[in-house]
Amino acid sequence: MTADATKTAGTPAIICENVGKWFGDFAALRGVSCTIEHGEVVVVIGPSGSGKSTFIRCINHLENHQQGRIVVDGIELTNDLRNIDAIRREVGMVFQQFNLFPHLTVLGNITLAPIWVRNQTRTQAEETAMSLLERVGIPEQANKYPGQLSGGQQQRVAIARALAMNPKIMLFDEPTSALDPEMIKEVLDVIKELARSDMTTIVVSHEMGFAREVADRVMFFDYGSIVEEGTPEHFFTNPQNERTKLFLSQIL
Amino acid sequence: MVTPPDPPPPPKASQHARPPFWRNEVILKWVVQVAFLTAFVWLFWIVVTQATANLRATGISFSWDFLREPPGIKLSEGFNTDPATSLEALAAGMVNMLRITWSGIIVATLLGTLIGVSRLSSNWIVSRIANGYIEFFRNIPLLVQIFFWQAIIISAFPDLTAERAGAGWIIPSPKGIAIPWLIPQAGRWQYMALIIAGAVIARLVYRRRIDLQESEGRETHAMAWGVSVLVLFLAAGWFIHPVMGVLGWLFSALAWTMGAAPVLVFQILLAAAAIWAAFHYIKGYLDRRRTPAGMAKMTDEDYFRLSLVGVVGLAAALLFISGTGDTLLSHVLGRTPFFNMNWGLEPLFDFLASRFDFSGGSPLRFTRPEVVVPTRFAQYSQEVGKAFSPGYLSIWTGVTLYTTAFIAELVRAGIMAVPKGQSEASQALGMRRGRRMRLVVLPQAFRIILPPLGSQYLNLAKNTSLGIAVAYAEIVQVGQTIFNQTGQALAVFLIWMGFFAAVSLILSAVVNYYNRKMKLVER
Repeated sequence: MTADATKTAGTPAIICENVGKWFGDFAALRGVSCTIEHGEVVVVIGPSGSGKSTFIRCINHLENHQQGRIVVDGIELTNDLRNIDAIRREVGMVFQQFNLFPHLTVLGNITLAPIWVRNQTRTQAEETAMSLLERVGIPEQANKYPGQLSGGQQQRVAIARALAMNPKIMLFDEPTSALDPEMIKEVLDVIKELARSDMTTIVVSHEMGFAREVADRVMFFDYGSIVEEGTPEHFFTNPQNERTKLFLSQIL
Repeated sequence: MVTPPDPPPPPKASQHARPPFWRNEVILKWVVQVAFLTAFVWLFWIVVTQATANLRATGISFSWDFLREPPGIKLSEGFNTDPATSLEALAAGMVNMLRITWSGIIVATLLGTLIGVSRLSSNWIVSRIANGYIEFFRNIPLLVQIFFWQAIIISAFPDLTAERAGAGWIIPSPKGIAIPWLIPQAGRWQYMALIIAGAVIARLVYRRRIDLQESEGRETHAMAWGVSVLVLFLAAGWFIHPVMGVLGWLFSALAWTMGAAPVLVFQILLAAAAIWAAFHYIKGYLDRRRTPAGMAKMTDEDYFRLSLVGVVGLAAALLFISGTGDTLLSHVLGRTPFFNMNWGLEPLFDFLASRFDFSGGSPLRFTRPEVVVPTRFAQYSQEVGKAFSPGYLSIWTGVTLYTTAFIAELVRAGIMAVPKGQSEASQALGMRRGRRMRLVVLPQAFRIILPPLGSQYLNLAKNTSLGIAVAYAEIVQVGQTIFNQTGQALAVFLIWMGFFAAVSLILSAVVNYYNRKMKLVER
């Protein structure tokens, strides 16, 4: 499950050039440009409404960017369905509200896409699912329904579900924001373990301690653009931008 | 994470000191249950005896005798247009009502789903048309719509005159619309039995292929396999259906057994069935609470229910075995009942036996409708094609299109009620629109739609009683004619209510069954 084997030589994992997105008249993204290398762990922070979520949702085309270019692992994101499918095969996503399928068991949730999209055999998909459940620490919940699990367990199932498609890049959209405090740690531990395993990871999060610990790079969003970015070291101890300073002073 | 084991629940009796009985919640609950049941039975008894007395005072004594007397009416359509008794007339009315209900439900469901999905379409024209349909049909009273369809049929089509004599494809006129039809021939029962067998086998094959797909992970074309098996049976059955004639032997053997067996056998069987049903219910109920913790969770309602089932089961068994079933019934009817304790099973099997007779030939014959002029007046041929009366057409179109509008809104609501995140999560997993709908959105939407969908089916079934407005010979129209002639209003009302309640209960039982199957597991 390491990303080394699947690295595409030379091309960065994600290239964004001047990406713009509007909801009606409201500009959610105003020309975002960045390059993310393979194996890099990026934590995106910023006040709410600053475009962080919209940014990562554009990367797997849950939102349609209206300006600029997004290239994921050498594939440009256009309206071509084939490209969109190809990129979604590379990119896994975990949502704030888990979005597990309530009518399927944990095992059913994890094996659904491998069976129907990847045409894996059920036995094969279930084997993978069980090993992923081991990895996120809840193999004993395999035959329960999402409604029977705690929030933290649900989010860990959601992570296993995304990993079952064997993605090269993982997107986490505020994975701990809907969780009770005592469950945040169990989910963050799983993400940390994943980040250390060389998976390209982008996490939108408000967990500053987490950002400081695992991020290779921190991006600060405000009003739809990247205001400041850098290593956690630089970002938390020596921020340059006034808005960053203000934000950090309010939350730290 | 290790959780400590649950402490055992306390024994029931020792929970508290025993309060005086008038403050004892347990005893009070029982008292209320029994009092309520007694009051209910007593009230029912009063209403029935009072109504009977009132009727007797007006000179009409309540009786079911009219059911066996000639109705003095002919039905405009149905499987029995010239009934010998009122009972037969009412039965024909019931069948006419069911004809509208079942086909109406199927068409309204399909059309409603289509329009509901169209309403959500991103195609502007499609969604506007669907919206217009819904607003038009649900904002006009159903009765007005039914009269509207009747007016269209009566006024918009050319008269059926002698000049139009001869065959055609679709022949509309103020007398209705005739269309080509498959007329069943002698072998149709054999063919039908073969098709049912084919459907069962096709379903088995389908399941088998699905299992194979899941266990081996390759495309197994399950649907194509299932459909092919069914088509094979449809096609081959056309020629080989006489083989099913062997069923005739089976049915005549059954009929003979029914006829030969003494009534006592049926009494014993019925009594045994009653006891078995009660026993099975109680046992199942207790089995689900076998653990000590489960037993402790038994509430007084549970005990009350179990005792009630036990008592009713025993009473029924006693009634059957002592033969008082017969005498009690004859007491109510004021005469010996016109059906025997073997419930007319012998005639039923005799009937079936006569239908499975190895006869060959095509089970169905395709015919075109024809206008004939037997006397001075032209009419649709009764032998070929199928003619729908204006009454049938207007009531069918009315209730179906009306219910369709409501079902369309339900379907739309159901799909919209599935959180957007579900669709996004499946998109993020790389599922395309079709798979997303089939595997994720629709299973959840269906669960939301099902309970209100059941109510719409009930509405459709009950709205067929508006057939009386356009002289469609359904149960209400037939019943009203009969009680106008006999004065037995109460009896007819009871039959109406019993019939509609039975249809509605069967419909909701089916819907509830699926509802339970679809229910989500929650914490």
